[in-house]
Amino acid sequence: MMDSQRLLEQVESTATVLQVIRRSDGYLHVSIGSQDLLSCLIRARTETGFLVLQLISVVDRIEDGKFQLTYILENPDDSSILILSALFPREGCTVPTLSEIWPAAETFERELHEMYGIDFPGNDRQDEEFILEGWKDKPPMRRDFDTLEYSIRMFGERWPRNHHDPRQFIGERVGEWETPMSGEEGS
Amino acid sequence: MSSMYCNCKPEAPRSQLKAWAKVDELARANSLWVTAYGTGCGAIELRPLHTSRFDMERFGIAMRPTPRQADVLIVSGYLSVKTLKRVIRVYEQMQDPKYIVALGSCTINGGMYYDSYNTLNVLDRYLPVDVYIMGCMPRPEAIIDGFGLLMEKIKAGRADGWEHYRENLEWYRDNQKKVIPKWDLPDYNW
Ligand code: SF4
Repeated sequence: MMDSQRLLEQVESTATVLQVIRRSDGYLHVSIGSQDLLSCLIRARTETGFLVLQLISVVDRIEDGKFQLTYILENPDDSSILILSALFPREGCTVPTLSEIWPAAETFERELHEMYGIDFPGNDRQDEEFILEGWKDKPPMRRDFDTLEYSIRMFGERWPRNHHDPRQFIGERVGEWETPMSGEEGS
Repeated sequence: MSSMYCNCKPEAPRSQLKAWAKVDELARANSLWVTAYGTGCGAIELRPLHTSRFDMERFGIAMRPTPRQADVLIVSGYLSVKTLKRVIRVYEQMQDPKYIVALGSCTINGGMYYDSYNTLNVLDRYLPVDVYIMGCMPRPEAIIDGFGLLMEKIKAGRADGWEHYRENLEWYRDNQKKVIPKWDLPDYNW
């Protein structure tokens, strides 16, 4: 298993490492500058043996006006994990596609395009529908998308609800139930 | 494709002798066949119900593999917009008379998904529900209780959601088309 120090040195040789988020043997999670992301990923695959792209995920950091993209790579020979995170500006977010390098990335990117509106130029299938059918609104996973407002506008107000204090509500009804306990109490 | 279903407006059934209708209702109430179809989390509680522990076949309730042979559609929880389209299709392919049993708070008022961008809040606006069973999710005992209610309704001749659906098809269609942006079903699909 590759120790994390060597892995870190290798990442540092291609990218500006902004922060080491977590490290242990065979596991390294770093955040790097977004401009180095593509070269760093290619290098990890071609030179360090991280052949498997497990996941691309996004966190919407709306307070900073950024999307944080996280790429999880695995080396199948020794099962070590390399996780690279990078921040991209939120408005008009454009991220280089990986579909040439990992065909599986095409599907991940399609999902992120639909759910967050991130543009991956070069990914031919990103405009195809992934989960939603005929979605016309803002991408629903962006945090500035108001799901409650959408739900009311689209599906109508829900029916009014009655609230019961459980103690009182159950207390009222408990007399209607015959339980073994009530018999014992009477005797 | 269009040769595979009838695409004309559904007609009202021929009128029937009252006494004969009573016999029909009795027979229907005691052999409820359910489409084997589950949505949402509620379908989990149907497994113990139709296997040996709670054994719903002792009440004459059985699962059918195709909607064409079934009388009851159980909507077992939240419905996403995408699933609604399939459920409408399944419901309309069932033969009259047919009944809908809706499980869980999600079908009643959206439940814990009331603010989701993708799930309906009130099922009754899109399909005619005969019996609601509350709970999140309802226990098998509650579902049996609900079926008891449905049987009583059928025997009393009050389980007429399917007639209501046929008579108010335009209203239901409007509501359905409002939430399903990509409407590619035939207009009548029975
Ligand atoms: S009512 Fe509860 S159990 Fe049923 S579908 Fe909704 S969340 Fe799931």
